[in-house]
Amino acid sequence: MKRLLLFFSIICAVTAFAAFFQPDVRPGYGVTDIGWLSDYFPPLRGTNLDTPVFYMDSGVEGPTFLLMGGTHPREIASMVAATIFVENVVVKKGRVIVIPYANKSAASIPDTFGKVPHFIPVKSRSGPRFLVYGDRRTDPKDQGVPDPEKFVHPSGFELEDGAEARNLNRQYPGVPEGNPTQQLAYAIIQLIKAEKVNFNLDMHESGTPEEYVDESGNIKKGGRLAFTLVCNPAALEIGAMALLMLEDQGITFNLEESNPEFRGLSHLEIYNATGCLSFLSETPNPGQDPWRKQVDVINDPKYPLKLRVGMQLELIRCLIEAYSMYTGEAIQIEGLPSFQDLMEKDVGSFLN
Amino acid sequence: MKKFLFMVLVFLTFNILAFGAATSTQVPMLEAPVMVVSAGQSPGALQFSVVAKMAKLPHTFEKLLRAEDFDPTKYKTLVLVVGASSKGLGAAGIDFEAEVKRVVALAEKAKAHKIPIVICHLEGATRRGPMSDRILDALAAYASIFMVKTSSDEDGKFKSLSEEFKVPLLYFQKTSDLKNIIQEHFVY
Repeated sequence: MKRLLLFFSIICAVTAFAAFFQPDVRPGYGVTDIGWLSDYFPPLRGTNLDTPVFYMDSGVEGPTFLLMGGTHPREIASMVAATIFVENVVVKKGRVIVIPYANKSAASIPDTFGKVPHFIPVKSRSGPRFLVYGDRRTDPKDQGVPDPEKFVHPSGFELEDGAEARNLNRQYPGVPEGNPTQQLAYAIIQLIKAEKVNFNLDMHESGTPEEYVDESGNIKKGGRLAFTLVCNPAALEIGAMALLMLEDQGITFNLEESNPEFRGLSHLEIYNATGCLSFLSETPNPGQDPWRKQVDVINDPKYPLKLRVGMQLELIRCLIEAYSMYTGEAIQIEGLPSFQDLMEKDVGSFLN
Repeated sequence: MKKFLFMVLVFLTFNILAFGAATSTQVPMLEAPVMVVSAGQSPGALQFSVVAKMAKLPHTFEKLLRAEDFDPTKYKTLVLVVGASSKGLGAAGIDFEAEVKRVVALAEKAKAHKIPIVICHLEGATRRGPMSDRILDALAAYASIFMVKTSSDEDGKFKSLSEEFKVPLLYFQKTSDLKNIIQEHFVY
């Protein structure tokens, strides 16, 4: 009986812990206000999908840029890059809004691949700190409804895997009366509209391009998504300029255009719903290679976290510069660590 | 007299050979205005256009230009930027075979009007799949010059085509280096 009680106590404790997750973001001097996504869509308030929003306003007129990490919280470089931005950057002209954990519910549970711990210790400027390695999709408990057999976007676009109903980056532009993940996408769209965001970057990671040998002994090509900037067709020229600048820093990314037939993705739907020029970046995360038996997402010899975060940060810089050059309306920032800074000093040196 | 004729013959032979060698290896000067067209609907052509803008090259960028819409009296060079993208083809609502036919017809028309054709590839090895190579093979015979990013020619295909068709090949390391090539080889 005692054992049974203990078992239920542990289950209850674990369940309670999973239901609450507060991202560890320690704002720097550049943060002028902090709000919640539910400020733009009240039904999110009190749920595990509500997430902090950081405002970095120069007070000088200029464009507004929205930076998002953690759409898929197993794509750890996205959240770390967004956190470093919030903790280090001061905006001197224009305004930047940052959502470091876009799908907080997905960050509240460990990765379903099961190869990487949920919390990873690192040494920060102020001592030990944990980085979060979450899942790709909303926690089923927070979704509250079972996954459908097939995922169907409101446009009619279908995917065989019903679990994609919990994937934030399949739900845009969202549904106000929909399931929690659809509401989350809707809330982000409401923020973009309310804050008149001019351009946004949704940071992601994907499997590495490394070749591997499958179980039958065949050599297989790795992922093709990594090292890519996907642009809405309306933003393609700015994306091309940004990648030219990035290449001058020794970082080569491929330019891709949104596929108008694949619905629900941020880079396609955000522009279509709001007119905000939308981009999505992909860096190579060894943790997302299904063939790897063991993985170190922080210190992988070829794709360490510092390299991936460095690339994301450098891309942010280039995108801001390219937008400013292209439109003539500048955002100016200070304090963003460079790719070289990351490679020399590592991630922890830029975390408070 | 015989000696004189022999000397003339030697001189003419030398000149013909020399001229031939020059046309096969010498990089031609290209003129503006330039028409830039995608061959495969990847974003490569747009990247060329962005660099051309940086180089202030007078040009027009038309992703989907068809031969019948190409006015050869308005342009002095045609740039075909090779790179096949299923997404791009899907977005343009064109199937792959139709795309190959479109760009070959365009090259035919330019050649018929003696307009030099630049075949460019600037998206590196990742944009060198079978579809891109198919377009490249279809267009290679029309090329007046190849402009190729170093990472696009890791397998030496462009080098082989350049030798086979006796067409000059210019490499550039970074996409932004294409600006220098444009400034050096286009008159505008």
